[in-house]
Amino acid sequence: MPVAFEAGDSVLVTLQRAGLHPNHGGCLCAAGDCPHCLATVNGVAYVRTCQTLAQPGMIVESFPTDDYPHLPPNTQRGPTVSARNLHCDVVVIGMGEAGQAAAAAATAAGKSVITLDDKAGQEVVGIYPELMVVARTDTGMLHIHAHDEVVVATGAAEIQPVAPGNHLRGIVTPRAATHLAAKGVALGRVVVVESGGAVNLSTSPALNIVAHRKGQVLQFEGLDTLKAVVIQDDNGLSQRIECDTAVVGLGFTPRDLLVRMAAGLKVRAVGDAAREADLPPCPNAGMVCSCSSVSAADLQRVWDQGFHEMELVKRATLAGTGPCQGVVCVPHMRSFLATRTAAADPSAMPDITRLSKVQAPFTARPVVRQLTLGEVAAGAHHHATPRTGLDAEHRRLGAVMDRIGGWWRPWHYGNPLAEYWAVREAVSIGDVSTLGKMIVSGPDTLAFLERLYPTKVSSIAAGRSRYVLILDERGYVMDDGLICKDSDTRYTLTFTSGGSSHAEMWLRDWAEGWNMDVRILNQTMSLGAINVTGPLATQLLQRAGLTQPYKFMQHGHASIANVPCRVYRLSFTGEVSYELHHPVDQSAKLWRTLMTLGADLGIRPHGLQTLLQLRLEKGHVIVGQDTDFDSTPRRIGMEWALRMDKVDFLGKPAIERTNKTVLDKQLVGFEMSAPATFEGANIMYEGEYVGYVTSSTHSPLLGKVVMLGWLKLVNGALPSEVMIDGRLARRVDVPFYDKEGGRARA
Amino acid sequence: MNEFQEQKINLTWREPKRSYDVVIVGGGGHGLAAAYYLATRHGITNVAVLERNYIGSGNSGRNTTIIRANYGIPESVKFYQRSVDLYQSLEAETDRWIMHKQKGLINIAHNEAGLRTERARAAVNVAFGSKTDFITSAEVKKLCPQIDLSGGGEYPVLGASYHHSGSTARHDRVVWAYAEGAMRRGVDVHQRISVTGMLKEGHKVTGVQTTAGPISAKVVMSAVGGQVTQLADMAGVRLPIRSHPLQAFVTNHYSLSFEPILASPALLFYVSQTARGEMLMGAEIDRQPSYSYGTGHHLLQTTSYRAITLLPFLRDLRILRQWTGVCDMSPDYSPIMGFTGVEGFVITSGWGTWGFKGIPASGEQMAELIATGKIPELIAPFALDRFARDRTMADRGSAGTH
Amino acid sequence: MPELKSLPFTRIVATPMALDATIWPAEALAFRAANDEVLLLASSLPTIADPHAIILPDSGFVGVWLSAEALQAIFEQHCEWALPATRPVFVQGAVAGIAAKLWLEAERGLLIVPAAYGHDFAERTGLA
Ligand SMILES: Cc1cc2nc3c(=O)[nH]c(=O)nc-3n(C[C@H](O)[C@H](O)[C@H](O)COP(=O)(O)OP(=O)(O)OC[C@H]3O[C@@H](n4cnc5c(N)ncnc54)[C@H](O)[C@@H]3O)c2cc1C
Repeated sequence: MPVAFEAGDSVLVTLQRAGLHPNHGGCLCAAGDCPHCLATVNGVAYVRTCQTLAQPGMIVESFPTDDYPHLPPNTQRGPTVSARNLHCDVVVIGMGEAGQAAAAAATAAGKSVITLDDKAGQEVVGIYPELMVVARTDTGMLHIHAHDEVVVATGAAEIQPVAPGNHLRGIVTPRAATHLAAKGVALGRVVVVESGGAVNLSTSPALNIVAHRKGQVLQFEGLDTLKAVVIQDDNGLSQRIECDTAVVGLGFTPRDLLVRMAAGLKVRAVGDAAREADLPPCPNAGMVCSCSSVSAADLQRVWDQGFHEMELVKRATLAGTGPCQGVVCVPHMRSFLATRTAAADPSAMPDITRLSKVQAPFTARPVVRQLTLGEVAAGAHHHATPRTGLDAEHRRLGAVMDRIGGWWRPWHYGNPLAEYWAVREAVSIGDVSTLGKMIVSGPDTLAFLERLYPTKVSSIAAGRSRYVLILDERGYVMDDGLICKDSDTRYTLTFTSGGSSHAEMWLRDWAEGWNMDVRILNQTMSLGAINVTGPLATQLLQRAGLTQPYKFMQHGHASIANVPCRVYRLSFTGEVSYELHHPVDQSAKLWRTLMTLGADLGIRPHGLQTLLQLRLEKGHVIVGQDTDFDSTPRRIGMEWALRMDKVDFLGKPAIERTNKTVLDKQLVGFEMSAPATFEGANIMYEGEYVGYVTSSTHSPLLGKVVMLGWLKLVNGALPSEVMIDGRLARRVDVPFYDKEGGRARA
Repeated sequence: MNEFQEQKINLTWREPKRSYDVVIVGGGGHGLAAAYYLATRHGITNVAVLERNYIGSGNSGRNTTIIRANYGIPESVKFYQRSVDLYQSLEAETDRWIMHKQKGLINIAHNEAGLRTERARAAVNVAFGSKTDFITSAEVKKLCPQIDLSGGGEYPVLGASYHHSGSTARHDRVVWAYAEGAMRRGVDVHQRISVTGMLKEGHKVTGVQTTAGPISAKVVMSAVGGQVTQLADMAGVRLPIRSHPLQAFVTNHYSLSFEPILASPALLFYVSQTARGEMLMGAEIDRQPSYSYGTGHHLLQTTSYRAITLLPFLRDLRILRQWTGVCDMSPDYSPIMGFTGVEGFVITSGWGTWGFKGIPASGEQMAELIATGKIPELIAPFALDRFARDRTMADRGSAGTH
Repeated sequence: MPELKSLPFTRIVATPMALDATIWPAEALAFRAANDEVLLLASSLPTIADPHAIILPDSGFVGVWLSAEALQAIFEQHCEWALPATRPVFVQGAVAGIAAKLWLEAERGLLIVPAAYGHDFAERTGLA
């Protein structure tokens, strides 16, 4: 049904002028405090119509009578809401008298001030740590950062009446009556009742006041709409007066939610927002909380059930847990509890002796004025996932990309099997730019690394690298990588992609803690890295400009395809491999040249899926996939990587201690016939669970399934035959492929 | 009248006595459940529960109420499955409506690592009697039609695990059902009494010092949350626990139409619809340890953003309120239950972000431990000395924040 | 819109004392990214009084020069922290959820992010 409005009308005023109530009834405050004018506006439910300007074509719907509003049905994505960040010294919220005075005082003191007021279209939602004020406006969100303080001058809310029939249409607060009358809304015959709060409507001469009484409303009469009020005056006499509108004055309660939810922050209330709350008469009948449909009788019932604390009464009745955040019900609940507590016999109710006579309102929890998830999300982003210098290259080659170890990486390029054979039989390149890369330099470098790593760092010669386990203080495997000696005072360290984000902090923390004279440079994102691997890798690199031969685990500098590279000879795949670390802006050039030069050698890039398969054939552990928080070197069968004869290294005391405990489980290799089972499959022995598979693949070359998995010791020994996926699997020593390692060293 | 108001519970408060057989510190779910099971299973009723605030004022009244057993290690699956079973029969046993509802829990995988985790989860769950399937994205869509499987083009749904017994219950009602059940059998529950110290004879704990005077006890059990390290310290026990804030928020009430519990470990959020129609969302813990109950904007902002990525309809829902609890995190993301090495002092702790679901089983097992003086098999792996013995209950990736 | 481009930095890690004492070439931009680290845009290298200093060319950052107004617009939308009032000044912090560095002159500024985040940063801020 179309309704007309005048410019500047709120939706509430528009509806009232047409004789409509936005919802089904209840006292109106027209000030954003109560829940009684909530409606669905343009498909968004729970909009305060008194705070929303009417617009042409707006669709306003009341909530269903027997249900909550429906969830928006679609899966369509709406537009994103923007956020603006503003900075100032002082934020003043509420531009009434007190707010204006506070703003003027701050300005006079030379402060930069931002003022906010809902009448100016800024609804403040909350005040958050670091003193950020969040406000919604029709054009987006404001995030206002206050340097000095936030002044809350939001005034006070009017207390609403509780009596039978207070859910009817036709009940308004004094301020609402003034506002609606000024807007030309016809209120009909008006009865004014002062129930402890003065009501002065002389400023609204348009009102037809048929009666003005002091006393309590005993009853609001009517079916849906108010027909009459029954008032009991201070002498106990009651009187029924017919009317269309009842205006009831019960005093005020400060609008201090914003202050109470900002406990501990530099937030100050002034003016009415700082006043004492009036306590209305104890409610005996009628609706106390319309958000949750809680009546005075309900309060009495839960009191009798033993719920005597504000918070417990809230939780037992759910009063105060709706959209108005307890603004309407809290004064009445406090009055109810104060009255009952005063009347109670402490010997029958010993618990109340430890309660205060008038209990504080329950905890204020943001948000004050409601906003949608879309609005609150303004300015947010997903966790940014870094990309290597080859990212565009991978996508161009049609790679399936995946977030792996915190980076975008190619999972495969469409034909993982061909990628596999390229490595095993020809040559292949892979993007390993995501490896952590650190340089440590300084007089204490060797001492520092010696204390950090469980290997004997001093026995690494310049120009050579060594594989290392990285342990935490508790002796658990945290990461692994390489130590590469550049000179007596300078080393390059590598870490896994997943571990690289922590590596710098880890190094710096220990360097500082041990007071080491070292410099640390994190080159993880500065250097790209390409792994050239396969029996023809050396041949390809010679074509690309590698002149000098590299021995296994040797490193040096070379110009490859005219790109300055740091070359590391090593192997993760089991074949001859060179890692080329290079300036990240030249990754694409290096990659493309290698692809071109290797075309006739059968070169293909390989993705992570293939790399994981290749390393599994070699039995190499992936920290984080094959290990868990409690993986000691002993449990993963890598004690060979420790030099327990060193004086000290990180985790050594813990390892000495745990080595004395009985070994309970180990990471071991398994074989079985095809097909491969999934990673995570249970390992069973004589019908009992004894562990699970951490890595599993069908080896094209070996023609069987190879796996790593955790296996419990049974009666002090590792079972040699187990069931995986209901099939027999044998425990075998790793590596599964090229046990002597001749291929990698060739 | 709303149907969700409490109608039946009757709480009986008594004068504190000077001495009890058992004093339980902390009137959260864990303390009250232990009292309940001491009374109902072992006939031990000369018991007091001391709560410094009101019952359920800690995390037991602040959590997102998710009950599940889809953990990653056998010991945890078994323990939580026991809790899931006890929850299922709690209404019948206590004749109180805890609003228990089985909803099914979908744990989404957005990448290969996620797929691996969810497959592994399903496998170990099934092995230990908890029903979890690995499901395809099409099956996810069937269970949750509102989901955008493309994840806004950013976080595609590749698959998921589906935990059939994933359920919720009203947190306060669980607290009250245990409190009332214990009170009815003679257990004293005292609100607004804080424990401020331990009574000791040598190293042995013989009672507690409180804001209402000393109270002696044969056994003192700590079931406190938030500042448990301080309390344990008073007894001479060092706990490897750090406290981190965890936040959650709800929207207004909407007509019921979101069936399952949906969680995305990669996007670090989870969501369900409460019986009253609120969309209830949780997120990750604050990385920074703290005892602060302050609520931040950043979490609300990023969690909303992430939630909309998967469930675009959430965009136009209005947020009702957000809140914070302080969670006691153990180093291996598993709880700590049992003896402490100090005579007369036992503990249930380290409930972190996952302890609502553990309330019944922890209560039952701790009651047995106190009554028999022996460690029940189900909780033996969770003993405090496991850290020194290199037997941590490492459960990578499956603790989650719910 | 201007584009993010690779910046030809020299990265210098040395003792804070040595960095404090260094006299940077007149035309150089030397950004003190940390107590022990400088990002240098210069055609020649100064002497650093630390024999163990790590001094390496570094192409790991991308950046773009923007007018004061263009920067202001980006900051208002994407940055929760306040810019200092002094000019010139070097500051660091999250912009659009990504760790950024910023060199502000009177009329313009250089916005810098790690190359690995360049794609996301450009997408978020509209710097194609
Ligand atoms: C936001 C949030 C969401 C969560 N979601 C889930 C979920 O979905 N599923 C799940 O399983 N878990 C969840 N949890 C975790 C769960 O809430 C807790 O692990 C669980 O409630 C712990 O119960 P408790 O009884 O040990 O502790 P609490 O409920 O915190 O009780 C401890 C009590 O000890 C009292 N106390 C403290 N010190 C003293 C003292 N000195 N003297 C007397 N009393 C004292 C406190 O006042 C408190 O009432 C969530 C937690 C939070 C914060």
